[in-house]
Amino acid sequence: MLSAWLGAVLSGILLGLLYGLAAIGLNLIWGVMNVINLSHGAFIALGMFSSYFMAKYLHLSPFIGVFLVLAMGVILGMVTYFVSLHKIISAPELSTLLATYSVSLVIIGLGTFIFTTNPRAIDIALGSVSVGGTVLPTTRILTGIFSVIFTLWLYYFLYKTWSGKAIRAVSMNRDAAELMGVNTTMALALAFGIGVALAMTAGALAATIFPFTILSGGGYELKSFVICVLGGLGSPLGALLGGLILGLIENLVTLKIATSYVPFLEFAILVFILIVKPTGLLARR
Amino acid sequence: MDQPTLKVENLETGYGEVQILWGIDLEVPPGNLTTILGANGAGKTTLLRAITGILPVWKGKVTFHGEDITHLSPHHRASLGLVMIPEGRMIFPEMTVLENLEMGAFTKRARAGLKENMEYALSLFPRLKERLEQKAGTMSGGEQQMLAIARGLMADPRVLIFDEPSLGLAPKLVIEVFETIQKLKEEGVTMLLVEQNVHLSLALTDYAYVLAEGKVVMEGTGEELEESEEVKKAYLGA
Ligand SMILES: Nc1ncnc2c1ncn2[C@@H]1O[C@H](COP(=O)(O)OP(=O)(O)O)[C@@H](O)[C@H]1O
Ligand SMILES: [Mg+2]
Repeated sequence: MLSAWLGAVLSGILLGLLYGLAAIGLNLIWGVMNVINLSHGAFIALGMFSSYFMAKYLHLSPFIGVFLVLAMGVILGMVTYFVSLHKIISAPELSTLLATYSVSLVIIGLGTFIFTTNPRAIDIALGSVSVGGTVLPTTRILTGIFSVIFTLWLYYFLYKTWSGKAIRAVSMNRDAAELMGVNTTMALALAFGIGVALAMTAGALAATIFPFTILSGGGYELKSFVICVLGGLGSPLGALLGGLILGLIENLVTLKIATSYVPFLEFAILVFILIVKPTGLLARR
Repeated sequence: MDQPTLKVENLETGYGEVQILWGIDLEVPPGNLTTILGANGAGKTTLLRAITGILPVWKGKVTFHGEDITHLSPHHRASLGLVMIPEGRMIFPEMTVLENLEMGAFTKRARAGLKENMEYALSLFPRLKERLEQKAGTMSGGEQQMLAIARGLMADPRVLIFDEPSLGLAPKLVIEVFETIQKLKEEGVTMLLVEQNVHLSLALTDYAYVLAEGKVVMEGTGEELEESEEVKKAYLGA
């Protein structure tokens, strides 16, 4: 019994870190650009496929390929920004919401056409590790560790580099940043690129644990919204913490109830927080 | 005659369909303090937004050190050393004081002199030095204005533009702002100042323009305008 609890806590933590990473991209794009990125889940799915094909055709371990996915994601995200968002970035939020929804429809539509919706899984066997009587797959441990690494990397980027500080400045006052010499268009594009890249990265990591289809990003998108509401928008560490909480809740609750109730539970949490504290449970303001 | 640092010729612009400025001509000579006066809504901020490029120009020309910058983006103008301390300060509230100062030195030009400029800015505003790690948004209005000026100085300006730096400050801080401007003037910094504080500005300025309803209605040296009946009538309620 005790080891069942320990196992649930451990995998809750590891999965929670991954959920946190998935949420950070959404969080960043909202925090910097005031854009609700409804293509978030689609990019997560693209990350899963990128990792899958790299493993299959380039024989790259997903844990090395993930860095390539990150770089690809930045470029893909920046291109998406210029194609779908640049012209309407100052328009009311509904316009950008619809634009990202269109991006999602395009990705999911093309993805369904090309990849079908048959489930796939990455062929990876790294064994497992036994911790205090519970057995954890190594891939889960690695995804947890990588999630922390990418979160710390984002933190470092936003707080210690000129480009990162420029993105933060743009999020606070776009005109002032422009007056300081920041190319705010490029800063916004880069922020979107990094948000998308982190989503794809989370997908790439998730694909080492679970089978997936082009539609699998949807579940993570819902989790990401819940986490952003839990952790409050605008802080990467808040998102990671929110992810941890959600991962733990999920894994502990499924000891008692069926897994199929999890989406319902997540939605209930979302609604509950929005009613009780709409600025986010852990948010300062 | 030296070439003017900044020159505005026959400038027209506005918001949407509404024209605000109707053919402005103005020059800022090197090393001078040039002032723009005018009642609320005269178009002063609009003019500065056009000069810095935040607002596109409809007609006319802006030159900086002889170079036509009318259609350059604001960040490009900033990288040339055209620096504005905007109305309402516009500091970055969630950044620390130190980070705000660093952002001031964002351009390649300014980064080269970051250290010396930081020392200089902090020597002008020693109070900021004690608060480098504080979130800028948690400081008082006066401190935020000092930070906005210091951040402008971090940019190594070739012209420094102020939009109503004394707005909303207590009298003692207003004096402090003007003392700072005087100090900068003595050091030869080229400045363009927008103010509503007519007496204090005219006492300091080399040359001034009076703006009303989007047009320059009067110009002259500080003394000339100080003695002008019209300025008195318009601003001093006499
Ligand atoms: N963003 C804006 N959109 C539309 N009209 C504006 C905007 N900003 C200012 N105005 C109008 O332009 C005119 C000049 O304003 P402004 O340049 O701010 O004056 P000042 O700085 O001299 O007080 C005013 O009539 C004002 O209502
Ligand atoms: Mg104004």
